[in-house]
Amino acid sequence: MASIAQSAISSRPRRQLLPAGALQAAVWVLVVVLVVGPFIPMLYASFRDRPLYEAGGVFTTKAYSQLFSDSEFWHAWLNTLQYATLSTAMAVAGGAGAAILVSRTNLPFRNAYGRLLLLPILLPPLGVVLGWIVVWGPGGYLTNLFSQRLHVGTLAIDTIPGMSLIEASRLLPVAYMTCEAALSRADSSLEDAARSAGAAPLKVLRKVTIPMLRPALLNSATLIFTLSVASLGIPLLLGTPRNIKFVSSYLYLQWTNAAAPDPATVSAGAVLLLLVATGLLLLRNRLLGAEARYVSIAGRAGRTAMLSLRTWRWPLALVIALYLVFSTLLPVLGLAVMSFVVVLTPLVAPWKLATWDNWHQLTTGEFHRAITNSLEISFVGAILATALVAIATLVAHRSRFPLRKALPFVMLYPRATPGLIIGIGFFWTYLLTWGIGSWLRGSIWGIMLAFVVRNLPFAYVVMYPTLARIGEELDRAGRAAGAGWWRTSRSIVLPLLRPAIFSAFILMFVEILCDYDPALFLVKPGNEVIGTTMLSQFIQGMVGPVAALAMVQVVVTLVVLAIGARLFKIGVAGGHDA
Amino acid sequence: MPEIGVEGLVRTFADIRALDDVTFNVDDGELFTLLGPSGCGKSTTLMSIAGFQTPNEGRIVVGGEPIFDAASRLDLAAERRNLGIVFQSYAVWPHMTVFDNLAFPLKVRKVNRKEIRTRVREVLELVDLGSLERRYPHQLSGGQQQRVALGRALVYSPSVLLLDEPFSNLDAKLRERARTWVKDLQHSLGLTTIFVTHDQDEALSMSDRVCVMNFGVVQQIGTPEEVYRKPANRFVAEFVGQVNLIAGTVAGYENSIAIVDVGESARALQVRVDLAPEPRSSVTVAVRPEALVVEAADSATHNGANTLSARVTSISFLGDHYQYELDASGLALTAQSSRMVGSEDVRVHIPPDACAVVE
Repeated sequence: MASIAQSAISSRPRRQLLPAGALQAAVWVLVVVLVVGPFIPMLYASFRDRPLYEAGGVFTTKAYSQLFSDSEFWHAWLNTLQYATLSTAMAVAGGAGAAILVSRTNLPFRNAYGRLLLLPILLPPLGVVLGWIVVWGPGGYLTNLFSQRLHVGTLAIDTIPGMSLIEASRLLPVAYMTCEAALSRADSSLEDAARSAGAAPLKVLRKVTIPMLRPALLNSATLIFTLSVASLGIPLLLGTPRNIKFVSSYLYLQWTNAAAPDPATVSAGAVLLLLVATGLLLLRNRLLGAEARYVSIAGRAGRTAMLSLRTWRWPLALVIALYLVFSTLLPVLGLAVMSFVVVLTPLVAPWKLATWDNWHQLTTGEFHRAITNSLEISFVGAILATALVAIATLVAHRSRFPLRKALPFVMLYPRATPGLIIGIGFFWTYLLTWGIGSWLRGSIWGIMLAFVVRNLPFAYVVMYPTLARIGEELDRAGRAAGAGWWRTSRSIVLPLLRPAIFSAFILMFVEILCDYDPALFLVKPGNEVIGTTMLSQFIQGMVGPVAALAMVQVVVTLVVLAIGARLFKIGVAGGHDA
Repeated sequence: MPEIGVEGLVRTFADIRALDDVTFNVDDGELFTLLGPSGCGKSTTLMSIAGFQTPNEGRIVVGGEPIFDAASRLDLAAERRNLGIVFQSYAVWPHMTVFDNLAFPLKVRKVNRKEIRTRVREVLELVDLGSLERRYPHQLSGGQQQRVALGRALVYSPSVLLLDEPFSNLDAKLRERARTWVKDLQHSLGLTTIFVTHDQDEALSMSDRVCVMNFGVVQQIGTPEEVYRKPANRFVAEFVGQVNLIAGTVAGYENSIAIVDVGESARALQVRVDLAPEPRSSVTVAVRPEALVVEAADSATHNGANTLSARVTSISFLGDHYQYELDASGLALTAQSSRMVGSEDVRVHIPPDACAVVE
C-alpha cells in the first residue's frame, strides 16, 4: 500500500495563467460601473446650466433652486407621500392579515389562496393597471354598469385613495410573502408554549405571533413605501388626466411635455428622488439586520396547531375571494374582453361589437416591432443578467476578493431605485460615451442594458439563498484538490447552483418583458418595447390594440412562468422577497 | 513524507485572539492531533495550514518549504499547497459520481485519462469502495461518503493529510471502526497527518502525539499517555478524561515526593513530582478516578500514607465499571472500580505516582 503514496502524480498544481483575482476584479468593476455609473452623468447634468448635449456649460445650482421654488414640485411631493403612505398601510395590513390567515388559521382553501395571492406580482404591472382603468376607471365598464344600471357609486380610482388602492393591490404580495416567510420560519413551539401557559388563541395571536412579525412588517413596509414612491405607471395614467401630479410623473412630464424641456431640473429632481430612495434602502438594511435577532431556528416539528376561526371561517374566505376577483380577475378579464371588441360598454352586449381588428393590428407597425423587440431583449438580457449575477454572487460570497462585501449591496441597490431615474441616468450616460453610447442609444440594446440593471436584484435574491445552502466546504474541497477559484466555480459551485440559475433566467425574462419605466427616457421610433408602446398608444386612445398587447404580455408571462415551474420547480415566489 | 512546522501563528478576529502564538512541529509520518473544545482555535489552525484562513502572524513550513509566512507576505493559494483534506461534512460533490469525485484532482493536474482510471481504481480499492464507483453520493451511507472524501484526499498523493473532525457525523459504533481503519491506513501509507477533534477518546486512541488547545493557546503537547497521566495544567486535566482536583498547600519535599496538605483537616498527601514545588504555595493535585483504590473499610489492604476513610454517597453502574462518589470527611472524590464494594464505609488509597500537580 505504501507504494501508492509515492506514485509520481504528486506534482504540485501549477499557477493559473490568468489569476483568479483578475476575473473577480473585472466582474466587480462591471457590476459597480453598470449600477452606479449611470448616476454620475445625471448628477453632473443636474449641476450644469445647459443640457450636456450643448457645448460650453458651466457649474451652477440653478436647477436645484428652480426646483425648490416650484410650488408644483412641493405639491407633487405632498401627493406622493400621501399616496405612498396609504398604499403602504393598505398593502401591509392586507398582506400581513392574509399571511396570518393562510399560515396560522383553519381558513378554507388556504393553500390555494396562498398561491393566488401572489398572482398580482407575477402579472405585468402596466397591463394590470390598464385592466383596472378599462373596468373601474372613469367611463370603465363596471363603473358605468354600477352607476347607470344599479345607480350605485363605485370608488373613483382617479383620486389619490383610489390610485393607492391599485398600488396596494399590486404590492400586497410583497408584504404577504415577507410575513408568510417569517411565520413559517418562526418556531411555532413559541406559540404552543403560550397556549400551554394558558393563553387563548386570540391572545397568542396578539401577544406572540404579531410581535414576532414586527421585523417582517417593518421590512416590507419600507420596501413597499419605496416602491410606491418610485411608481410611475399609475400616477401617469390616472393622476395626469385629473391634474394630480406625483414626483415621478412631474419629472416625466417635465422631461417630455414642457414646451422648453429642462433636462437639468429633471436631473436635479431625479437626484433628490434617488437620495430619498437610497435613504429608505439603508433604513431597510438596518431593519433586515435587526430581523436576524427575531429568527428562532425552527425544529421542523409538526404543523402549528391551527387557530380556529369558527363562524368567521367562511365570511373571511369570501372576503379574500372577492378581493381576488375585484383586484385581479376582473381587470385581466376586462383586458381580455376589451381586446376582442370595438368598444366595451354596458349599453351594448360585447358579442355584438366583436372584432379581430385589435389583434390584427399587433402584426403590423409599431405594435409588431414592440413585441419582437421585447422578446429579443428579454431573452438576451435574461441570459446576460443571469450570467453576470451568477459570477458576481460567487465573487461576493465565495471569493477572497478584497472589495467583495460591497457587491451584495450594489446588486440590491437598483431594487430601491425608481425606474425613471435609471432611465435618465442611462440617457445621459449614452450621450456622454461617444460611439458605443450612440450605438446603444439608437438600438434596442441600450434599453436592454437599462432593464438588465434595473432587474439585477431579482436574479441575485434567487441565487443567493441557494448558494448559501451549498456548503462552503464543497468548494474548499475543490481548492484543496488543486483547482483554482475559477475552475472550482465552474466544475463545482455553478453546476450545483444550476436550479437557481434557471430560476433566475426565467424570472429575469419575465421582469424584462414587463418592465417599462426606464425605457420611457430611451425610447425612439424603431426601438419601442411592449411597455412603452402600451403607455404611449393608450394615452393616444388606442385602447383596443393596447389591450391585445397587454394580453400578449400576460399570456407570455404566464406561459414562461408555468414552463419554469414545471421544468425547474421554481417557487412562484421567485425573487420578489428582495 | 515531509514534516510540518507551525511557528507563532496569531489570528485575531476583531478583539479576539483566535490563535495566540501557536507553535508545534509534526514529525514525518506522525499522526498529530489538535484537541480542544469548540472555539479553541484547532480548526482555525488546520484551516490556516490548508490555506483557507490567513493568520496575522506566523509561519507554516511543509517539508522544509514555507507555504505561509506573514513576515514576507507569503500566502500560497490553497490549491497550490498540495495537501489532502477531509472535511467534517465530507464535502463530497453531490453532482459527481464516486469516480468523478476522485478523478477531479487528477483532471486538474492534467493527468491523462488512462492514468486517471488506473489511479482512481487503485485508490477506490484502498478505501474499500471498489464496487461503488458509479454511485452518486446520495446513494451512499455516511461511512461510505467519508471514505470517498478520504480517497479523494489521497488520490493525488498529497504531501500531508489534514482531517477536520472526520468522525463527528458517524454514529457511535461506526465511529470506532472508522477510527481503527483510518489509523491503520495512515500508518501503512506513512502519511504525515494532522487530525482535529474535540473528542478525547478519539485523540487518545489514534494519535502519536496530542496538542491540547484552549482559547487559541497551546496548553500541552505530548503523547496520549503524557497528556493523560501528567497533564500540564488544570485545563488539560479536566478536558482529557475525568479527574479529581484536590486543592492543598505544599508542606514539604523530599526525593521527588512532595507533601501536600489537603482538605479541612490538612491531611498530608504524598505526590510524585518532577520539580520541587515552592514551599507553602497553594497547589491543585489532579488524580484520575480509576487510579483511586476503593476498599471496604473492614478488609482494607492499604493503610497509612495516602489512605483516607470515606463514605460512599452514591454508586452508578456503567457497564464495565462502577463509579463511586465519595465523601472523605469533607473532601469529595470520584472513583472508578470494576469491583463492587459492598459497604458504605470505605478506605480510599491515592497512589503518589498517579497524582500530578497542575497548578
